[in-house]
Amino acid sequence: MTKPLSIRNITAHYGRTLVLEDLSLEVAEGELVSLLGASGCGKTTTLRLVAGFLQPTSGAITLGGRDLTRLPAHQRDIGLVFQNYALFPHLSVADNVGFGLKQRNVTGDARTKRVNAMLERVGLDHLADRLPAALSGGQKQRVALARALVIEPPLLMFDEPLSNLDAKLRVDMRVEIRQLQRANGTTSVYVTHDQEEAFSISDRVAIMHAGRIMQLDTPENLYQRPANAFVARFVGFENLIPMKVVARDGALVTAEAAGGVRLSFGLEQFGEIPDDFVLACRADGLTVTDNLAVEGIPATLGLRTYLGRAYQYQCDTAAGALVANGPLSRVLQPGSAAKLVPVPEQCTILKPE
Amino acid sequence: MPTKLHPALIGFTVLVFIFLVGPLIIVVGAAVSDTSYLTFPPHGLSLRWFENIFAIDAFRRTILTSLQVAVLATFVALLIGIPASYALNRYRIQLPGWLSTLFVLPVLVPELVLGFSLLKNVAYQFNAPIFLSLVVGHTILILPYVIRVISASLASFDFSVEEAAISLGSPPLKTFFTILLPNVRSGVIAAFILAFITSINDVSISIFLTGPGLSTLPIQLLAHMEQFFDPTVASVSVLLMVLTVAVMAIVERTLGLTFLAK
Amino acid sequence: MKRFAGWTLASPATLLILLGLVAPVAATIYATFGTPGGPFDTYQTFFASSFRRTVLMRTITISLAVTAIALVIGFITAYVVSRAPGWLKSILIIAAVFPLLTGVVVRSFAWLIILGKNGILNSTLTQLGLIAEPLQMLYTPGSVIVAMVYLFVPLMILTLVGVLEAIPDDLIQASASLGARPSATFTQVVLPLAVPGLIVGAVLVFTGSFTSYATPQLLGGEQVMMMGTLMYQQAMVTFDWVSASTIAAVMVVITIAIVLAMTRVARRLNPMAV
Repeated sequence: MTKPLSIRNITAHYGRTLVLEDLSLEVAEGELVSLLGASGCGKTTTLRLVAGFLQPTSGAITLGGRDLTRLPAHQRDIGLVFQNYALFPHLSVADNVGFGLKQRNVTGDARTKRVNAMLERVGLDHLADRLPAALSGGQKQRVALARALVIEPPLLMFDEPLSNLDAKLRVDMRVEIRQLQRANGTTSVYVTHDQEEAFSISDRVAIMHAGRIMQLDTPENLYQRPANAFVARFVGFENLIPMKVVARDGALVTAEAAGGVRLSFGLEQFGEIPDDFVLACRADGLTVTDNLAVEGIPATLGLRTYLGRAYQYQCDTAAGALVANGPLSRVLQPGSAAKLVPVPEQCTILKPE
Repeated sequence: MPTKLHPALIGFTVLVFIFLVGPLIIVVGAAVSDTSYLTFPPHGLSLRWFENIFAIDAFRRTILTSLQVAVLATFVALLIGIPASYALNRYRIQLPGWLSTLFVLPVLVPELVLGFSLLKNVAYQFNAPIFLSLVVGHTILILPYVIRVISASLASFDFSVEEAAISLGSPPLKTFFTILLPNVRSGVIAAFILAFITSINDVSISIFLTGPGLSTLPIQLLAHMEQFFDPTVASVSVLLMVLTVAVMAIVERTLGLTFLAK
Repeated sequence: MKRFAGWTLASPATLLILLGLVAPVAATIYATFGTPGGPFDTYQTFFASSFRRTVLMRTITISLAVTAIALVIGFITAYVVSRAPGWLKSILIIAAVFPLLTGVVVRSFAWLIILGKNGILNSTLTQLGLIAEPLQMLYTPGSVIVAMVYLFVPLMILTLVGVLEAIPDDLIQASASLGARPSATFTQVVLPLAVPGLIVGAVLVFTGSFTSYATPQLLGGEQVMMMGTLMYQQAMVTFDWVSASTIAAVMVVITIAIVLAMTRVARRLNPMAV
């Protein structure tokens, strides 16, 4: 039933504004890929192109070998879950779920049976006769999910499905969505601006910016080894320090940042190091110490905030303003001198832009 | 992407808009005809029937009366309608529910009945001046429009802005004029225009509150049509249309015409 | 304190409506019950007259016909307008608003020119050789219905464009994504959601037709007397104020009953208002 989705070299315009530029994406059978990015990055446009609500300027979209590009929306056979649920307000929960089956001429008992089975799976069988207005947000989202799943589509697409729910429910619902998707093995595209949501639910995540995919990878790889500065910043690398190699000595490389700050890097920890590179560290990847004898970036400490597991310091260095964490056991005062020591496991090396 | 429409639907819509606009074009054509009877397409072009409007004393007087009534009624309706809409929106919880129903009553009660009742139970009963009764009738007629339009623009007004102004030391009345009114300005303009046009065009109330000595333009037009069938009526109609166009241009420039569709 | 402020601001308008509308209209209706022949005497007289019964039935029939025609024309047109691209939509709305702002006398007058004995329609038909003699089109129910449809279609279009535009695009897209053809989306999603608006439009048109005066006066005359023209004739020509008051009372009761009943129905059918 489930099929792979292939988007090839899609370019799209709103009027004369370019919104997607030569975008390609392959989603394997049964895989869940998230499109993650800020509003205006093109993630929703991509979804609407696949759904058939927009036409691309060029490129092709195929689902299991079937060319969808010029097919009207109602012939595409894609299950869609909308941000604001888009439940038909004049139809009961059961009729909402049965709507797609009705269009496929599934009638009478067969329809009732499938609708009831689906409602049972999402735990709403007791609300079958209610109108959508009488449901809570979470219940509405379950109905929307059931409505999209019951037609057993070869592809499911979610357009920020959880953004109207409160934080607790959001976490429960995403687990539920993932379980249902896994159980059915349906190929899925999931649009969201919430990084945690995308990473927790997806097989792979496409981080989008300005109409392009910046990196498509597993959540683990994105989180630990971003491919470029944009993705690095996006996944929380606060400190990006441009550096230049000044000496190579076997497995040890010495590099210099602005202001003459020198650091050494072991090739076995960082892999290959180009002559020009950017050292990317999260705040956790720079440890603050008042032992000025160690190798590190000399800094003057600024504002200190309490994070629960550590103290965080705004630091002023010759290489620019940096953010670093220090242990709870040692409270350092603003204005005092310190060294920021990179923790190799928490840092990564990027090619310069 | 707008859904594709069936060509038959589009053709039908074209016909409907011809039906809507065509008759008015015919009136314009008849008004500029150089004949002493009504005809379309016009035979020759002439503006003499426009001069005729002002040559006929009854038209001159009724145009003046209509303008007086419309200006007075609109002014009074705004004067009492703005505070009423403010109260309905600001003190919704404190005021009883039937009050807003009361303000739509003039729409529910047939205008003819209001006109007749004002004649019978106010003008005749208390010997009240007809002109006054006419203005009262028109004010009541247009009050619901004023309240609806002003309420619509107040509904999107955040009253905490007003509280912010008062907390900064602005006295309530001054706050009303410096904070609230500027924010509902477009609503006030729209209300003014709708009210004015409604009053100018009214027949059903005025028909009872006019007579030989006092009449409004639409009533005079009706009377003229029953006696003469010359292009004067068409030229007056064109004048009224020009007024409408002017009004629509003002609305367009201040609010955009889609406002009227709401 | 707040209650006081609210009342103070609302009181001038409240007083005007109570004294200028509620009291005089109530007095008109009250007077119909205080006649020498018993409380319902005037109504017995009214309904005993076959002429008046005919006028009432004719008014209802004509108003129903106008409502039905305006509903069909208005709904189809509003659907097309609501789907039109932005610039075209503005032009179409202007084209609908303009007649609405033009007075009822002017708009009825236009049909006088078109339908008259020497009017445009007759002269065109004669010239085309379709008819030998001009047809009598004025002063027939047909001419009144046509002019009233003309009067109320813009109102219907504007009401329904508002209703149709309030239906979220998402619902149309959800329907398409579930496999509904455009026609199925129309009948299963758009139409049911527009029903409350259709009811509101129908009530506006029906009550407007039922209580109209200028159009039946100009295009119907004595031959097609309606409740409005009959009431005016009783009040201002024959000066039978009791009879006029009775007609007024019948009009008020029927109008308000329809408005109350139909708004209740519309509210019950409106799933979005819950």
